[in-house]
Amino acid sequence: MPEYDVVVIGAGNGGLTGALTLAKAGRKVLLLERHNVPGGCATSFVRGRFEFEVALHQLSGMGSAERPGPLRAILNDLGVMDKLEFVEMENLYRVVWPDTFDITLRAERNAIVETLQDRFPKEKDNIPRFFDLVYGFSMEMVQGLFFKDPNISKEKYPLFFKYAFTPTRKVLDEYFSDPLLKAVLSIYWSYAGVPPTWLSFGDFAIMLFAYIEFKPYHLKGGSQALSNALLDEFINNGGEVRFNCGAKKITTSGGRVTGVVTEYGDMVQTGYVLSNASMLQTYLDLMDPDQVPKETLDAFRSTSIGPSAFSIYMGFDCEPEELGIQETTNFITTTTDMDQTFARWKTMEQQGVALLTCYDVSDPDFSPPGTCQAAFVSLQYGDPWHLVPPHQYYDAKYRYAEGMMELAERVFPGIRGRVEEMEIATPMTHLRYLGHLGGAIYGHDQYTKDTQYFMANRSPVQGLYFAGAWAMQGGFQPTLTSGRSSAKGILKSMAKK
Amino acid sequence: MSLKDVIHDIEGYRDITSEIAVLKKYGYDYSAQRGRLDVILDMLHPKKLRLRVSEIIDEAQTTKTLRLVPATGYLPPFQAGQYISLVVEIGGVVTSRDYSISSSPCQIAYYDVTVRRVGDGFVSEYLLEETKVGDEFTSSSPAGNFYYNPLIHGRDLVFIAGGSGITPFMSMIREVTARGLDRRIHLFYGSQSPDDVIFGQEIEDLSRRHPNFTWTSVISVPPQGYQGRTGFISAGLMKDVLGDFSGRMFYLCGPEAMYTFCQKELAGLGVPGRRIRIEMYGPPKNVTACQGWPAHIGADATVTVGIKGGKTITVRTTEPLMNSLERNGIVIPSLCRSGECSLCRTKLLKGKVFQPEGVKLRKSDRQFGYIHPCMAYPISDIEILLT
Repeated sequence: MPEYDVVVIGAGNGGLTGALTLAKAGRKVLLLERHNVPGGCATSFVRGRFEFEVALHQLSGMGSAERPGPLRAILNDLGVMDKLEFVEMENLYRVVWPDTFDITLRAERNAIVETLQDRFPKEKDNIPRFFDLVYGFSMEMVQGLFFKDPNISKEKYPLFFKYAFTPTRKVLDEYFSDPLLKAVLSIYWSYAGVPPTWLSFGDFAIMLFAYIEFKPYHLKGGSQALSNALLDEFINNGGEVRFNCGAKKITTSGGRVTGVVTEYGDMVQTGYVLSNASMLQTYLDLMDPDQVPKETLDAFRSTSIGPSAFSIYMGFDCEPEELGIQETTNFITTTTDMDQTFARWKTMEQQGVALLTCYDVSDPDFSPPGTCQAAFVSLQYGDPWHLVPPHQYYDAKYRYAEGMMELAERVFPGIRGRVEEMEIATPMTHLRYLGHLGGAIYGHDQYTKDTQYFMANRSPVQGLYFAGAWAMQGGFQPTLTSGRSSAKGILKSMAKK
Repeated sequence: MSLKDVIHDIEGYRDITSEIAVLKKYGYDYSAQRGRLDVILDMLHPKKLRLRVSEIIDEAQTTKTLRLVPATGYLPPFQAGQYISLVVEIGGVVTSRDYSISSSPCQIAYYDVTVRRVGDGFVSEYLLEETKVGDEFTSSSPAGNFYYNPLIHGRDLVFIAGGSGITPFMSMIREVTARGLDRRIHLFYGSQSPDDVIFGQEIEDLSRRHPNFTWTSVISVPPQGYQGRTGFISAGLMKDVLGDFSGRMFYLCGPEAMYTFCQKELAGLGVPGRRIRIEMYGPPKNVTACQGWPAHIGADATVTVGIKGGKTITVRTTEPLMNSLERNGIVIPSLCRSGECSLCRTKLLKGKVFQPEGVKLRKSDRQFGYIHPCMAYPISDIEILLT
């Protein structure tokens, strides 16, 4: 029976950084991936002349070479930076409400403040005060939490202790009265999947701060290039990978990991498993009930399966300007009521907020010359799709997409006339490729109760570790980071022996 | 001291912990979801299908329809125009071929695949001559991107079929007519002789009963005294039949030569590329004729393929790597066998392969040395990594 130091299940962002970290530390690692390509969400697919980016809209935490952010530091450590070319986005985002309102914010604090003051003169004084709070809070969080200040206290970090768990909406209400301004400022809530009413200010502030300070990024070749670079470096460091080969069971003995059985029935011996599969699925489907303490599954009772997405990928036979697309990141909204928007994610009703990302605006090489592509996405839960009978699935998919296209055309009239290639992904598509219940793309819902502060991410099964959205939180930076941290945890545990 | 020692000082902490306590008491018990994911997946996209031949129907000369019913479970829905990849074992060699489903997607009691004998058809020969009612096959779930998209394709559709390329269109025509969908279809159907026309009677009947469906049969080698349209599906012929071209969506499915010809004709008529959809058609008949094929490599040249950690085999340069591997008992995942779907994606460690234009590689896959063996031809000794 082949023996490995660690078996990594799943080559998503967390699985890749985890596997690479372990291989670089000289461990014998086997990486199992059900799909034929590495990346999980961080992937692309080709249709006609276009290679469509599946998931990455704005990469956070990169920062420049001179002022590296935490993610750049990790990728540097992992030795993949020289294989990749990153593209900085100048603007944070555009928020457009058809026939009503339109604003674009640069990824620069002072510019944002000025732009907003100009558009919301009645809130002139509140705007800089709010950014003082976002920055003050974030600086405290970085110093107290990320750098693990041993003298952390309420007195030393008053903003952090006051606001970390406060709902974002409560803070916005405290500072502003204009609902439109609140909507514009908090539009990134959709990246977290939780509306401002429930999104913790801690999660929100640090996200806004990070995007402004480290700028939003994309990369040449899309997120697949990152996944391929990580895998390549993993192979170069002696790692073994098997594609089209999922894990079927994790074997244990006396509460300790002893091995993994692949979907083809091959037994692999190992003392450590780093699971990049969903934490819930790992316990439910990769292990038998007698292998998992009851309390472990009971802990999931306080969580709920997070949102999936409905995405339309479009390749156009013209440049972005011809379609009226001037920004990379376009949030389209028809409401300031984010609670109602969030509620609609659980229905088949047309969405109130959607995001159209056109990568070619920041990177003209992204699509072939004379063309461009856009990903048009709205978050949506998987639940309503479970009620669609299989034989009506395709009709339901097109009907829903039609509603989305009507929304897009209110901002970019006539775009559908220039579509050369189109692919539509529903929550069921995400469920299929990710193997997550509900097609969840960010793991479970990220209410305050579900944030890192309240989660026990240590498994009672010795040698079992987790990486990915379910282990920490969703998004590229968190999942890439989680794999690295968990791998370090494994190395530490190995060193103790 | 770390955060966990002072976390209770964060405002709202106690509310959240009591919220968690309540939820843990009354929240959903996820153990009920054990195994559920596969159940959901099997409704739409089972990994594999097990099919049984329930009926074999003679369609035209050298053409039969195999009616396939589920041997286990049930069949997932599909979009008219999609195919299944049928796995066959012939003389000890396991391989697969794609067949468009010709039956209507309005029912999923069975899938029909309609098979015509092709020149050196290793697999078609087997399906036509050896296969009996009751035989079982493994296949993929329905796949492929050759289907109608109501968001962008409009209501005026022109189908251009050549020979057995009629099969995906038959599914589409059956769907539109049966469901009374608001689409107009004109079918140009090119065949060598009137006897080669597949589904001729049904097509004619449907066109009589449904004013939104019309067709033109075009015979390239007509028998003496033949009265209908003859020759190729040319720009002149299409103009003559259709008149106005604006707003129409064109779909092509047929042999390689037809694509080359018809695409040029459509371009000449000013039809933009985005209004033309082309079904893939597998590896080229003669790869040495492809643009970019290195002239110094003859049609009968052989090279070696080393599989890292495994054996080394000798292969013909003019056969797709995937087929050569299968011939040697090495079956790698396959689906489209046309260079598109990337299921067979494999890392090339050493040497060179020729991949014809149209092989859909991701940019970064190219950068990191991946190839699609279903449409890659080794042109030097190579080494590959099978993962």
